[in-house]
Amino acid sequence: MYFLLVILLFTGLGCKKVIDVNLNDADPQIVIEGNIFSTPGPYYVQISKTVNYSANNQFPPVTGATVIIKDLTAGQTDTLTELPKGLYATRKLNGIEGRIYQLQVIIAGKVYSANSKMPAAAQLDSVSFEKISRPGSKTDWYAVINYQDPIGISNYYLFTLFVNGRKINNTFVYDDRFSDGRYVSRTLRTDSAYINPGDSVRVLMQHMGKEGFDYYSSFSQVTGNGALQTISPANPNSNLSGGALGYFIASYTSTRRTLAK
Amino acid sequence: MIGASTYLLENPQKITLSNGYGFFSITAKAGNYKLVVNSTGYQPDTLSIALSANLTLVIKLRPAGKELAEVVVSTSRKNDQVTKPLMGVQRLSMKEMNSVPVIFGERDVLKTIQLLPGVKSAGEGNSGFFVRGGAADQNLILLDEATVYNASHLLGFFSAFNSDAIKDVTLYKGAMPAEYGGRLASVVDVKMLDGNNQEFHASGGIGLISSRLNLEGPLKKDKGSFIVSGRRTYADVFLGLSRDSSIRDNSLYFYDFNAKANYTLNKKNRLFLSGYFGRDKLGFGRTFGIDYGNSTATLRWNHIFNGRLFMNNSFIYSNYNYNIEIRSGVNNLLIKSKIEDLSLKSDFQYFINNDNKFNFGFQITRHLLSPGVVEASATSSFNSRALPLKKAMENAAYINHEYAPFDNFRLNYGLRLTYFALLGPGTFYSYDTTGNVKETIQKNDGSAIATYINPEPRFSASWLLGPISSVKASFTRNVQNLHLLSNSAAINPTDIWIPSSNNVRPEIADQASVGYYQNSANGMYEFFVEAYYKWMQNQVDYRNGAQLRANEQVESQLLFGTGRAYGIEWFLKKRAGLLTGWISYTLARTERKIEGINQGNWYPARQDQTHNLAIVGIYQLNKRWSLSANWVYNTGNAVTFPSGKYRVNGQTAYYYTERNGYRFPDYHRLDLSATLKNKPKKGREGSWTFSLYNAYGRENTYSIEFKDDPNNSERTIAEQTALFRWVPSITYNFKF
Repeated sequence: MYFLLVILLFTGLGCKKVIDVNLNDADPQIVIEGNIFSTPGPYYVQISKTVNYSANNQFPPVTGATVIIKDLTAGQTDTLTELPKGLYATRKLNGIEGRIYQLQVIIAGKVYSANSKMPAAAQLDSVSFEKISRPGSKTDWYAVINYQDPIGISNYYLFTLFVNGRKINNTFVYDDRFSDGRYVSRTLRTDSAYINPGDSVRVLMQHMGKEGFDYYSSFSQVTGNGALQTISPANPNSNLSGGALGYFIASYTSTRRTLAK
Repeated sequence: MIGASTYLLENPQKITLSNGYGFFSITAKAGNYKLVVNSTGYQPDTLSIALSANLTLVIKLRPAGKELAEVVVSTSRKNDQVTKPLMGVQRLSMKEMNSVPVIFGERDVLKTIQLLPGVKSAGEGNSGFFVRGGAADQNLILLDEATVYNASHLLGFFSAFNSDAIKDVTLYKGAMPAEYGGRLASVVDVKMLDGNNQEFHASGGIGLISSRLNLEGPLKKDKGSFIVSGRRTYADVFLGLSRDSSIRDNSLYFYDFNAKANYTLNKKNRLFLSGYFGRDKLGFGRTFGIDYGNSTATLRWNHIFNGRLFMNNSFIYSNYNYNIEIRSGVNNLLIKSKIEDLSLKSDFQYFINNDNKFNFGFQITRHLLSPGVVEASATSSFNSRALPLKKAMENAAYINHEYAPFDNFRLNYGLRLTYFALLGPGTFYSYDTTGNVKETIQKNDGSAIATYINPEPRFSASWLLGPISSVKASFTRNVQNLHLLSNSAAINPTDIWIPSSNNVRPEIADQASVGYYQNSANGMYEFFVEAYYKWMQNQVDYRNGAQLRANEQVESQLLFGTGRAYGIEWFLKKRAGLLTGWISYTLARTERKIEGINQGNWYPARQDQTHNLAIVGIYQLNKRWSLSANWVYNTGNAVTFPSGKYRVNGQTAYYYTERNGYRFPDYHRLDLSATLKNKPKKGREGSWTFSLYNAYGRENTYSIEFKDDPNNSERTIAEQTALFRWVPSITYNFKF
C-alpha cells in the first residue's frame, strides 16, 4: 500500500519496530536455480536447501547431485560438472534462441525437472536516468530502461541493475500485457535511491518465456521488498517438477552500460 | 419518523411501528380511543380519537429535553428487541453515534457499528468491516436505497457518510427481511434526514483535519423541506504552503455533499429526492494521482391507497468510479474504471390488522461495469485499450408476512426470488483448471451468457417467555451476484467488481441463528445473546501471483470453494441515566476451504478474530460537560508467515507452508473524548469536543514484514509497522 506510506510520511504518526515472532520450523526443501543464457557458456545450476527462519543465513549447498541439461532441439545432452558450494557447470551447451532446454536434477533418487524454451532475440536499447525530487530539496536518481517490444507476441522481461559493479536486490519483471509493440521507457524504481551522479550503471535484460514471468512476479511478492508483500504470500510458481523451490529459465540476454549523468 | 411506536391505550400490547417513511396503520372497531405515540428522543404524545370511519392523521412529536437524564424510555419501544421476531438487527441512534469518540474527531457511522457484536473491523485506518465472518464485499451499504460501492474516504480513514445528514442507521447481520438482498453478510441501511420543515437552521463543525456545514429548512412550511450538507478535509492545504515543490505538489483530500428534498403533494402522496456526491483525491507530485468516488441519486414517491395499503416507488442511480493518472518520463497513462447502476424498486405494505402484515414488491436493476479503460499518450510505453463493458440485470421479487398467530408467538417469514443475467454483446471465455482459455464465445446480441435464478427463503420467529424476555430462531438464505476482487485485506479504491458469469457462480450463504433476549423491568437495561452458524458456497479466492488488474481474462485467476462461520454474540446495554453505554463480546470463527489453497484443507479466513470485545461508556457529568470512552480488544487477524528461508538470485526468499496459520498480535485501544457545551445564546448553540484516539498509544500492528537485518547480514528479522499512536483532535460544533 504505497499510498499509505505517503500518508504516514505526512502525518508522521506511523512507526516501525522489530518484533519477536515465534515461527514454526519446516523440513529443509530443495532449492534449484538454473539459467541458460544466449551469451557463451558455461551456464550454472545452483542447488541449496532451505533453513529455519531463526537460523543464520547460511544455506547448505547440495553436493553429489546428478545434473543433466539437454538441448532438445539439437538433441544434445550435457552432464554438468560439480563445483564447490553446490554449483554445477555445463561443459559444452550453447544457449541459442528458439531452442528448448530440459533440466534434470537427481538428488537421493528423487528427480526434479523442467523445460524452458529460449525466446527470440530482444535488445535493450539504452539506459537513461530519471531524476525525482524528494522533500528536503533532494533529488533521487533512478535508471530508466528503453527497448522496443516485439508486436503480436507475448514478451516477458527480467531486468537486473548493477551500480558500480554491485547487484541491486530488487526484482524488476514485466510482461507486455499493456505495452505490446510499443517502444517502452520504464523507470526501475528501487526501494532506495542507489545511484549517484558519476556512478557506473549496468543493466542486464533477460527476455524470458512465460515460466520466467510466472516465477519472478510471484517471487517478488515473497522477498523482503516490503511494499510489494501481498497479504497472502505463497511459494513462487516454479516450473520445476518434484516439489523443488526455484526455477529453470532459458533467456536471451542483452546488456547496456552507462555513467549516471 | 421511522420506527415510532403507536398503540391504543385501550390495547397496549398491540404495538404498530411506523415504517421507513413514517407511515403506520392501526385497525380497530368504531369507538373512542386514546392513541399513544412514542419515539426515542422525543416527547410521547397522546391523542383522543373518536373512530367512526377510516381516519388519516399526521402526527408530529416534539424533541425531548436536552439533558439525557430527562429522556424517558418509552414503555413500548424499549421492548422491541425482545418482542419482534427479526434477529441480528441493531439500530443506532444518531445521538449515540455522535457521542462515541473516533479518530480525528470525525463522527463515523461505519466505525461505530464496528463496536457492535458480530461486526469486526478491517484494521487500523479502514472503514471496511466484516459481519459474522463474511468478506468485506459482502455488506450491502445503502444510502436512501442507493448502493454505495466504496463507503470510505482516504483509504478508509473516514467513511463516506456525513453524520450531520443522517437520520437513522439499521444493521442487519445476515437474517434480513425479504425486501433486502444482494449481499451475503449484512445490510447497513442508512437513511438521510429530511430537513426541518418549520424553520431554517444551519449547523456544522470545524476540526483540525476537516470541516462540515449543514443547511436545512422548509421549501414550503409544513409541506416540504430540504437539507444540504457538505464537508472537506484540508490537511493538504498546509502542504501547499511549503516552498519545497516536492511537498507542495502533493494532494490528499476528499469532499462530499449530501442533499435531500421532500414535498408532500397531498394527504396521500409524497415525493423525496436525495443525492450524494463524494470525491477523493490523492496525488504524489506530478507523477501519480488517483481520484475516485461515489455518486447516488434516489427519487421516491410514497402513495397511500387507503388506511391499509402503502406503496413506495423508487428510481435509483448509483455510480462508483476511479481514475488513475501516471506521468513518468514520457509515459502518460490514464486508467479509468466504473460501476454504474440504474434501478426501479417498488415496495408495498399491506396491513391486514395489528397482528398481520404483508410486505411485497420487486426490484429491477441494470448494472454496467467498466473494468478498465487505459488511455495512453502517443509517446507512452503503453497501449490504449478498453476492457469490454459488462452489462448485467439483477432483478428480484419478494413477499413477506409478519404474523402473530398467538399473543406470545410471532413470525416474520418470506421468500425473495432473485434473477441475475450477464448479457452480451461481447467476447466471453471459459477456462480449464489451470486457468488457460478453453473456449472463446463470441456473442453479438444482447442475450444472456449466464442466467441464475435463486430462491432465498427468510424465516424468523420469536416466543415471548414473559413481557420482557424471549427466545428467537431464524433461518435465511442470501445470494450475491457481484464480487469484489481484491488482493488486500480491506477494500482498496481500485479493487474490481465483477458479475456472476459462465465461470463465476453466485455466492450463497445459509445462516441459522438462535437467541435469548431479556430487558430489565424498568427498561434501563437491554441484553441478548445470539448464536449463529453460516454455510457459504462459491467463495472466491485467488491463484498465487494472480493478475487482477485490467485483465480481460481475470476470471482465470480465481479459485472457488466453501466457507463456514459460527459464533456467539453477547450484548448488554444501559439505555438511560447519567451513565449509558454498552458492552459487546463476540466469540467466533470463520474458515474457508478452497481447492488450490492450503492443499484443499480448511484454513482460517484473514478476518478470523477469535475474541472481539467493545466497551462503550457515555457519561453526562453535568449540564455542560459530557464524557465518553470506548475500549476495544480483538484477537489479531489470521496471517501467513514463513516457516523457513532460502536464497535465490542473491536475495533472501521466504518459504511458506500453511495459509493463515499465524496471528497478528492482539489489538486493543482506548479512546477518550469530552464535550463542552457553550451556554446557549439566543437561537445559537456551540460545543467543543476534545478527543484522544489510542489514549495509551499502543502500537497496534498494521503489517509485519520479513526482511534481512540491516545491521547483521546473517540474520533475518520481522518488522512491524503500526499506523497510529496518540491522535488528539479538537472540533468546534455549532448550530443555529
